[in-house]
Amino acid sequence: MNEAEARLVVEITFRTLWVCGAALVTALAIGIPIGIALGGRRFAGRSLVVSTVNAGMGAPPVVVGLGCSILFSRSGLLGGLGLIYSQTGMIIAQTLIAVPLVIGITLAAVGSLDEEWDLQVRTLGIRRIFRLWLLVRQIRMGLLAAVIAALGGILSEVGASSMVGGNLLGKTRVLTTAIMMETNMGNFERAGGLALILIGLTFLIAGLLTAVQQSGRTR
Amino acid sequence: MTTPPTPRPHRIALAAKGLRVQRGQGSSRFTLDVAALDLRAGEVLVILGPNGAGKSTLLRALAGLESSADPHSIQGGSGPVTLVFQRPAAFAGSAQHNVRVALLGKGLTEADRSDRIARALTRFDIAHLADQEARTLSGGEMRRLALARAFVLEPEVLLLDEPFDDLDAEGQRQLSLDLQRAITETDVAVAMVTHDLRRALLLADRIAVLMRGKLVQQGPREEVLQRPNSREIARTVGMTNLAEGRVVRREEEIYWVEISDGLEVPTRAKLEIGRDAWIGIRPEHLKIDIGRGDGRPIGKAEVESLVSDGLATVVTLRTRDRMFSTHLLSGRGLARRLRSGDAVSLAVRPEHVHARLID
Repeated sequence: MNEAEARLVVEITFRTLWVCGAALVTALAIGIPIGIALGGRRFAGRSLVVSTVNAGMGAPPVVVGLGCSILFSRSGLLGGLGLIYSQTGMIIAQTLIAVPLVIGITLAAVGSLDEEWDLQVRTLGIRRIFRLWLLVRQIRMGLLAAVIAALGGILSEVGASSMVGGNLLGKTRVLTTAIMMETNMGNFERAGGLALILIGLTFLIAGLLTAVQQSGRTR
Repeated sequence: MTTPPTPRPHRIALAAKGLRVQRGQGSSRFTLDVAALDLRAGEVLVILGPNGAGKSTLLRALAGLESSADPHSIQGGSGPVTLVFQRPAAFAGSAQHNVRVALLGKGLTEADRSDRIARALTRFDIAHLADQEARTLSGGEMRRLALARAFVLEPEVLLLDEPFDDLDAEGQRQLSLDLQRAITETDVAVAMVTHDLRRALLLADRIAVLMRGKLVQQGPREEVLQRPNSREIARTVGMTNLAEGRVVRREEEIYWVEISDGLEVPTRAKLEIGRDAWIGIRPEHLKIDIGRGDGRPIGKAEVESLVSDGLATVVTLRTRDRMFSTHLLSGRGLARRLRSGDAVSLAVRPEHVHARLID
């Protein structure tokens, strides 16, 4: 591998981290509050919402990619925003893939608390903002599981990234789309090298988060 | 001669009036309907009742946690009103953190906070567990931690849901002593619910009996224990020797009630000759007559069984067509000599026989 190629691999790797990281943070910001709200409240139609979230957790990324492509294409509803073949478009698509995972796992974590948990906190006269902090602290292991699942989901998906991003060199090419392209071109050695980097990243991040999770369990 | 000072009545810390809570729908609908209930500073009110009577619902309503209750039906409680649940929650973190949580956003200085936390942990003898993860504490330790977490708030009203649940006899005794001391020192008004009379008697100053969502009797402890309004209440407060009969004669202030199996029981209750009445005798007041003049003889019985827990022996006695029970101190006198099948005479003091006319 020459120096230009190496620089390209580094660039693709950092772009992957940026796109996935931004999508992850956005998905957590949207998914955790919704998961907490759904987990702690009973209202008409709740089971329908929960069923939709559960279905969303298993939605194929390629279908999400197709939906986003239709919306973001020049003739689509959001065509004027220039999201097709952009990193922002990829981040939105990956966020949509991760949000149901985050909501579903957060909801399960809140649901695993004792039914009286909220009443027990309320009877101590603790203000709402501190109650929320306590709740997040209480379910932090579950939230970490949501982070790991969401990151795994978006770091490894290729369908939505290639459909929405278009695998444009220097703009929207990320590790998964690059691996697919190299494989299609018969460059198995190069594809294998990129796959190793992707697997290494996945292991590293998941390993770090798992270590945090395990240390939290013993504390 | 000077007259002794009248004891100062306890200040009412929380008063419930016309408190109504509704739960469920259709055949599973449950209504709690409490006309009036006061909690007084420095006093423990024990709310007794069978499972499903609405005891926990009442506590939650008093704590303001029942959204269907009219908030105007509860008055007072200008200071903190806090409820310790039957299964206290352990928040993630150390025991000390669990107590600190209660002071979140209360505007205290760090020195005040630390001082209050240390006092609360010491009060319930768990200072040595301060740094231990709360979720690893035993049931008894967690209960003490929950009480420390409640007392750190310096509450005006403390509501306890089955505080002695899952504790052995020694654990109950220790905790009741610590609680009693804490209540005396802080003058907090306490309401405690339990379905277990023995646990209730560890602390009760006053007793309220709740049945099917309604308060059927409340008053000073001895009044409720000795003079229950109905046979159902009598059973709940441990007056297990119950019988129906007819008032047959009167000797000065004492009426005699002949119960169906030929036994005649004296009582100082105001009755009418010729009317039907029910009588109730607490087990500790029914005596086996060994000629010590321990009450008036009322008839013969046969010892059915003797069961001892090491401290007290419960003697079940069979008369012609009913069972009675009495308590003896284990390992002494009669408790050692009596055997199943022995014939004995029964005696009772008239003042220990509760009686009511049957309408």
